Amino acid sequence: MGDKTDVWQGTLALMVLRTLESMGPQHGYGLARRIEQTSGDLLQLNYGTLYPALLKLEQEGFISSSWGTSENNRKAKFYELTKAGHRQLKKAAAEWNQTTAILARFLTPAHEA
Amino acid sequence: MRQLNAFVARLRGLFQPQRLDGDFAAELESHLAMHIDENIRAGLSPAEARRQALIRLGGAEQTRQSHRDRRTLPWIESLVQDIRFGFRMLLRNRAYTAVAVLTLAIGIGVSATAFTWINGVLLQPLGGVADPSRLVTVESVTPGGAWVPNSYPDFVDFRDHLKLFDGVAVTRPVALSVGREDHADRVWGELVSGNFFSVLGVMPQQGRMFLSSEYGDTPGAFPIVVISDRYWRAHLNADPAVVGRTLRINQHELTIVGVAPPAFHGSMPVTAFDLWIPYMQQPVLNGVGTWMLRDRHNRNMLGIARVKQGVTFDQAQQELRVLAERMAQANADVSEGMSATIMPLWKSPHGPQGLLVGPLRILMGVCILVLLIVCANVANLQLARATVREKEFSARLALGAGRIRLCRQVLTESLLLAFAGALLGVAATPFMSRALRYLMPPGPMQQLVAMDTRPNLTVLAFTVGLCVFAALAAGIAPALQVSRTSLSARLNEGGRTGSAGRRNRLRSVLVAAEVALALVALVGAGLFARGFQSTMRIDPGFEPNSVLLSQFYLNTSGYTLEQRKEFCRRLSERMLGAPGVTDIAYSDGVPLGFEPSWWEELKIEGYAPRPNENMNIFRNVISPGYLPLMHIPIVEGRNFNEQDNESDDSPAVMIVNESFARHFFPNSDPIGHKVHGWGSWFRIVGVAKDSKYHYLGESKVPYFYVPFRQLFRTDMSLAFYVRTQGNPESVLSTLRAQTRAIDPNVTVYDAVPLKEFIGASLYPQKLAASLMGILGSVAVLLAAVGLYSVMAYWVAQRTQEIGVRMALGAQPGHVLRMVVMQGLKLTTGGLVAGALLALAMSRVVGAVSFTNSGMGATAKLMGDGGGEPLIFAAAAVFLCALAAFAAWLPARRAASIDPMQALRTE
Repeated sequence: MGDKTDVWQGTLALMVLRTLESMGPQHGYGLARRIEQTSGDLLQLNYGTLYPALLKLEQEGFISSSWGTSENNRKAKFYELTKAGHRQLKKAAAEWNQTTAILARFLTPAHEA
Repeated sequence: MRQLNAFVARLRGLFQPQRLDGDFAAELESHLAMHIDENIRAGLSPAEARRQALIRLGGAEQTRQSHRDRRTLPWIESLVQDIRFGFRMLLRNRAYTAVAVLTLAIGIGVSATAFTWINGVLLQPLGGVADPSRLVTVESVTPGGAWVPNSYPDFVDFRDHLKLFDGVAVTRPVALSVGREDHADRVWGELVSGNFFSVLGVMPQQGRMFLSSEYGDTPGAFPIVVISDRYWRAHLNADPAVVGRTLRINQHELTIVGVAPPAFHGSMPVTAFDLWIPYMQQPVLNGVGTWMLRDRHNRNMLGIARVKQGVTFDQAQQELRVLAERMAQANADVSEGMSATIMPLWKSPHGPQGLLVGPLRILMGVCILVLLIVCANVANLQLARATVREKEFSARLALGAGRIRLCRQVLTESLLLAFAGALLGVAATPFMSRALRYLMPPGPMQQLVAMDTRPNLTVLAFTVGLCVFAALAAGIAPALQVSRTSLSARLNEGGRTGSAGRRNRLRSVLVAAEVALALVALVGAGLFARGFQSTMRIDPGFEPNSVLLSQFYLNTSGYTLEQRKEFCRRLSERMLGAPGVTDIAYSDGVPLGFEPSWWEELKIEGYAPRPNENMNIFRNVISPGYLPLMHIPIVEGRNFNEQDNESDDSPAVMIVNESFARHFFPNSDPIGHKVHGWGSWFRIVGVAKDSKYHYLGESKVPYFYVPFRQLFRTDMSLAFYVRTQGNPESVLSTLRAQTRAIDPNVTVYDAVPLKEFIGASLYPQKLAASLMGILGSVAVLLAAVGLYSVMAYWVAQRTQEIGVRMALGAQPGHVLRMVVMQGLKLTTGGLVAGALLALAMSRVVGAVSFTNSGMGATAKLMGDGGGEPLIFAAAAVFLCALAAFAAWLPARRAASIDPMQALRTE
């Protein structure tokens, strides 16, 4: 993988949920910027892919949306975690942690040996 | 769960495209605005800021599209598009659509009708019963291997001793009169054993069925009746308080205890009964002696049983056989050598289904044939359409449509056509299903036949299956063809037919297939018609013309035996005096009729039967006028006369037929010999010429007659014959008037010319022949249409070529010949294939037989071989002529092409 990494399917949803949890309600552009920042600008997000992902999460009932006004007084659509979204985030995060932990076990000992 | 939520949300998205599109456009707008603001703050020029923002977005249109894909269900959306577009295309070509839809409606309609019948007769013979798959018919088996009904004592033994059955019940269909004397209705019902409903598993919709305390064997103890839903609604206004009311049946009051559910029509497939009465009321209702209930000879009950869960039919059959054989030994005087067997309900030889099963199978086969032709025809039409639309398809390809999408478009249109056809076909199904009644022979059977024509799930599922099958069968070839459309072929106007050759080949194959199938149908129709005709030519041995036959149900008027005989005597006297009447007779059985024929086990003085020889000989109980009226000659001895009566000093006599005489008295004169039956000795006084008794195709069987006055019993039927000088129907009103004059309570219900009535024995053959005839014509017509369309198209395509030929000096005659020869070439290919198919088919169909009048006797539907090559040749010649005609129409157009005109259109 290069310096700037593409986001692969599935993980984007988790990032969105986590970001919404830490930041509270946020609009699409803000979310995109925040995700890039959090990744330490390692991720190069194609903003266009964010919206179908948001739509999917909304259809699944993990987030809800409503129109509001941004900090710069622009009309924007704000996304917010639902209860189901909180649950889903816990579950997905735990799964992800487990997966990485398992993978880490495979990758680290190879170093030591 | 969350997938479901998402699915529902996307489904909702389908219905509000504008609002959601607008919503997302606004969101995207605000996204870009914020991004541009930030870029400007970062020092970019407004134009560059906007450019960068769009790049990071990955394109506004792409984003919108991927958002839209996620928002709705793209496949449904494109399906809706396909359907919409399909509709538009179909509406634009009304003539093409009408032809295709009508063709499909014919194919799907006839198949669905045939399936409705088959479903009603074979697959779900009884409605409203629990688990019909475990129900079986119980038949006694004579030493000769024939199937016969059961006696009441047999039933009691079966009921009390069989362990592998959940119950055995018996039933006997009867005509009953309901209401007060002078305005009684005749209603058909069943006299049933008390456990009848519990064995069938029928639950009441009102009141109750028979209680186990009513299962008993005490004659006259249960004056109760269960009525059908149909009767309840038609005659009792669906009165909810009907339970407890009484019905006057055969002049006896019976209490209604329950109403059967709407789906239940009794224990005979395709037949609807309205009343069910415990069998023990038989002596009261019909004036039958109670001793008959104890007589093992008195076999008139149809058995129906339920095999226990987990028991195979073989095991059940085995148990029944062992028991029946033990019974036969225990009652050797009456039942020696008898056995019993079970069979699926639809195999039962009693009732209409015995006649229907064979013809229905053939019908289904022919329907499939017609459906295939229909599919070939529609495929052909679509191929032709596809050629016309080649330009449209190329344009769509050029604009980026996938080939799969084009295929799908064609298949969608095909499905639309099939669906429209199916709708039309299904709408016609109830009417066609009801036609089954008109196909039944006249007489009581016709009134009894009731087919459940309400659309039911099985038939619906079958039709949907047919619809999809037809759509695929008719759409696959055109769809594949379309997917091969070359991009450039038709975009430029001058493009010559590139793929046309292959397409024409495909269409030719389809037409040849149609011709082949049509030949099969035509040969089939020919074979059946010939079989029917050759049977018709058989001499029945009696003269059925100019005879009016009427069946009386005197039991329903509460007549005693003496009263019945008196009634016959008085009616004869009165009718003989009527103008136009030349002869009168009455008997128990009607020759070549539908009702089972009865027999008696005989002992013949001076004849030692071979071991296991069947001594059950068919008989009829006749008045002295019977043989003369039927024109059956007495070849030896004398006819019965009025002195052969019930008085003690007149000895019992009988007349035997020639076969009887030949078989039992090969070397001596039968006259004067003594024969034992019904517990007494009869003296043979005459020999009558052989005639046909059960069906026209039967071989010679021994048969005998006994005098009405000596042997008529209360459980026998009464058929009354009037021979007239002219049309037999002309004396019907006289018969009605005279009957009323004797007793206003007796009504003449079933009066038909004997000629028509005995047509019953021809019925299965007639049915098969007429169905084949109708469907064969449909098949031939469809094939002709297909051939015509291909030839017309071929000519249209070659207009220029023909123009050139004619400009170079070809004569119109040459052109005509060329086109017709092309058509005949196609036909010949089809004929060869069809002949092979038809040969195979005639082998298979030749084996299909039908059952007639009980006894398990079967007869073939088709005549035996001989004359077949002639039918094949005739069918082939006919099809060739038709093909030539179908090709000649466009050929004439081709021959009249003006060369200049043709070349100018270039």
